[in-house]
Amino acid sequence: MSKPTDLVQGTLDLLILKILALEPLNGWSVGQRLKQLSADVLQVSEGSLYPALHKLEQAGWITAEWRPSENNRRAKFYSLTRLGRRQLARETEDWRRLSSAITAVVRLREA
Amino acid sequence: MRLERWRYTIPLRLRSLFRRRQAERELTDELADHVERETAERIRRGAAPADARREALVAFGGVEQHKEGVRDARGWRPLENLVSDTRYSLRALRRNPGFTAAAVLVLGLGLGASTAVFSVLDAVLLSELPYPDANRLVRIYNQNSPTNLWSLSTVDVQAIAQQQKSFDAFGAARWSDAALSGVGAPEHVAVGRVSAGFFQALGVTAAQGRLLQRGDESPAAPAVVVVSHTLAGRALGGAAAAIGKPITLDGVSHTVVGVLPPERADLAGIRAVAWPALQLAAPTRRGPFGLRAIARLKPGVTIEAAARDLGGISERIFPLWAAGFQDKTARLTPVPLRTTIVGAADRSVRFFAGAVALVLVIAVANVGTLMLVRTSAREQELSVRAALGAARSRMARLVATECLALTLLAALAGLGVAASGVRLVATLAPGLPRLAEVGLDVRAVGFLAVTALLSALLVSLSPLAQVLRRAATPSLVPDARRAGTSRSSNRTRAAFVIAEFALALPLLLGAGLLLRSLLRLQQVDPGFDPVGVGSVSLGLPAARYPDDTARQIFWDRLAQRVEEIPGVVDAGLTTSLPPDNGGDVNNFDLVAHPVPQGTSQPVAPWVGVTNGFFRAMKIPLLDGRPFTPGDSGSAPPVVSVSRAWAARYFPGQPVLGQQLIEGGCTECPRTTIVGVVGDVHYLGLANGAEGVYAPLAQVQARSASLVVRTRGAPASVFSAIRAKVAALDPELPLVESLLLDRLRDSLADPRRWTAMLSGFAAVAVLLAALGIFGLMSYVVRQRRREIGVRIALGAQPGAVTRMIVGRGMRYALLGTVIGLALAAVQMRWLRALLFQVAPSDPMAVLGAAGVLLLAGFLACWLPGQQAARIRALEAISTE
Repeated sequence: MSKPTDLVQGTLDLLILKILALEPLNGWSVGQRLKQLSADVLQVSEGSLYPALHKLEQAGWITAEWRPSENNRRAKFYSLTRLGRRQLARETEDWRRLSSAITAVVRLREA
Repeated sequence: MRLERWRYTIPLRLRSLFRRRQAERELTDELADHVERETAERIRRGAAPADARREALVAFGGVEQHKEGVRDARGWRPLENLVSDTRYSLRALRRNPGFTAAAVLVLGLGLGASTAVFSVLDAVLLSELPYPDANRLVRIYNQNSPTNLWSLSTVDVQAIAQQQKSFDAFGAARWSDAALSGVGAPEHVAVGRVSAGFFQALGVTAAQGRLLQRGDESPAAPAVVVVSHTLAGRALGGAAAAIGKPITLDGVSHTVVGVLPPERADLAGIRAVAWPALQLAAPTRRGPFGLRAIARLKPGVTIEAAARDLGGISERIFPLWAAGFQDKTARLTPVPLRTTIVGAADRSVRFFAGAVALVLVIAVANVGTLMLVRTSAREQELSVRAALGAARSRMARLVATECLALTLLAALAGLGVAASGVRLVATLAPGLPRLAEVGLDVRAVGFLAVTALLSALLVSLSPLAQVLRRAATPSLVPDARRAGTSRSSNRTRAAFVIAEFALALPLLLGAGLLLRSLLRLQQVDPGFDPVGVGSVSLGLPAARYPDDTARQIFWDRLAQRVEEIPGVVDAGLTTSLPPDNGGDVNNFDLVAHPVPQGTSQPVAPWVGVTNGFFRAMKIPLLDGRPFTPGDSGSAPPVVSVSRAWAARYFPGQPVLGQQLIEGGCTECPRTTIVGVVGDVHYLGLANGAEGVYAPLAQVQARSASLVVRTRGAPASVFSAIRAKVAALDPELPLVESLLLDRLRDSLADPRRWTAMLSGFAAVAVLLAALGIFGLMSYVVRQRRREIGVRIALGAQPGAVTRMIVGRGMRYALLGTVIGLALAAVQMRWLRALLFQVAPSDPMAVLGAAGVLLLAGFLACWLPGQQAARIRALEAISTE
């Protein structure tokens, strides 16, 4: 099984939370939306996406609901909980700190 | 914050656990939905429908792997494993019904029996007496040596009541029989005549009415009585209705003033239905000693301090009554009440517990062997699992779960055994106090759970070690079965079997010793001929028979009338019935050989009889003269003695005409020995036959037994005797018995001990035999090929059998030798139960070792035969 781990460790959770903060989606759409929003730069395999979704659900940050989808079949929709919103804020803050620190280091001019 | 989080997570976890199937289905649906959408997307982008689906599936990847990933993420793992391990174990156990049934049965019996015995142990020994602050309660005795304690006299009780400084409350009781009349047919009931302080010391309260008060003890006070809850319900119309009603005890009318609560069937070991006030007459001498004294220590006062206090009282009263009581070493001594009640039972219950613990350990060892053999049989399966990548820990968990599941089943079976066994133990365990409190309670179930867990641990240890070792060197070679026979696992199995033999031997030896002892007891000559002899016991109430004259007239008339009954050959009266009714025991001092000043005098059973008693019991007169009508209450006192008594106190000297001082009464006339009669055991068959007989007219008997030898069955004359007694006095309750029954009952306790230990020993031997049978069968299976080669090379079947049996017997012999060493240490505990048999009795030792080795031999013989029948070619080719 190939595991394309293009994503920085731990960032998948942040991305999923962010995407679900915009609107409730089912698993497939989360993957699609991630691709769209990142202009095909970020991709996530199903083998990582679904475990991540279920882990976030177990943690209580997102909640799942079965409801009829557009083509009149039942689909599982995930949405952010209040706890998830707080977690998103925390992780966003963490990410900002981390990325600006990395950026700062990377931008250093070589002598 | 955390709380809020739990609100989400707990239901989810629970759902994972209990609605696993639904969660799994939803997961499948979710992933299928994903593929649907991907397919739709590809079609939208222009792919052909058939291709789109295939491509979507390929892009998706392994569905099962994704599911596994999700399961891991959800944290179902440990639980899932537990569930699947348990399922797997149960399935495996179901597949091997023989193994499962044997293991569950063996372990269940062991666990159940030990739980039942624990319940008895717990109720009898471990729990507090059922009184408030029971650890402050003491009983007071007279004591002149570490082992010689006796009850108190009126003098003692009155002195303690006046002078003691150590107790909050102090009371005395006299336990006796009384004729209860005025409520239905007259009957004999047990009564405890008690002082007010008795209830107060125990801290008992009344369920209805009041208990006794200090004023009730005065002879001038109206006669009042407290009754038990059962008597109130049975004869007085219930607890509330009983208050104020009259009952007649020994001809005296008493008014019921109180009823005890239902759980108070006995108080301080006295089991009685009526508790009248104890009225003590002014003493004329230090004895007699018939009062049970109970006291409650003041808070903070130690039992040693109380002993010093009471010792001072002993010293102060001694000189006042020295004329009739010369034992200066006797001290009033407090003993914890608990010790006095459970003291004697202590040894028997511990003995019982020890025996059952041995059986349990043997059972565990047995199941351990079974488990090991089974694990070995699964070597190949385990190897395959290991080769397929099963983690070592996972396989160990599998084995542990199986042991646990097995033990759980056994514990359930054990619970059933214990529930029915607890009553059985209570009836089998001879003469235990507090049996009413025995039952299967929470503590017993807790004990069962803990014991079961420990057993599971012990049972699983060696298979676990085996699996871990096995998994360390995964091997799939065709020889896997032989590769698994490491030396150490064989040693473990052998050690289990050796232990079983070593533990079975003490049980077997104990049973053998008890059996030899019982046989000896049965051979003891009771000294009388019980065939065709019946007895009728009765007591004369003081109210209607106030003095010795009135009583003597009644006894004379009774003896005379009974002799007239057709079918009665001989009839006589006695104050004690052999073999166990000691009746009165009296101290005496020989005029010819007095004991040194200030030491205790010898004692012997003192039996008041008429001449008819000797004739009816066929007790021979060996020397001297029989009693005559001239030996009346006013004549000089005379006695006859048993041959054993004569041999002990006047060895090789003439006995007739010797004189003695009775009961320490130096001012009374001397008693003369006028006859020697045959030996009779009054204190149990295991005890000596020293006895002293006095003419009934000279002992002032308030109660006696009529003994009749009849031509036909003794029971046939009982109704005629009833009529004769009723003609003399219609209100006397009678107790009938047959001397043959008494003789049999006298051996009931030793018989129970023997039966109990024999049962344990039989189970132990059976288990040991099963263990070695299992082991040797396994060895034969394991060495099938080697044996096949031997046979192919010309080994005789007999030699093969000998080889297998010889190997097994080495273990059995080693176990037996270790067992003998263990027994040498333990058998002194048994000494008190043995009669004329030494714990090292060679017959019993050889017998026990022989039986055990024989059982081992038979158990090895079958696998040995099996080995001899191995077909050489088949054995070599099947592997």
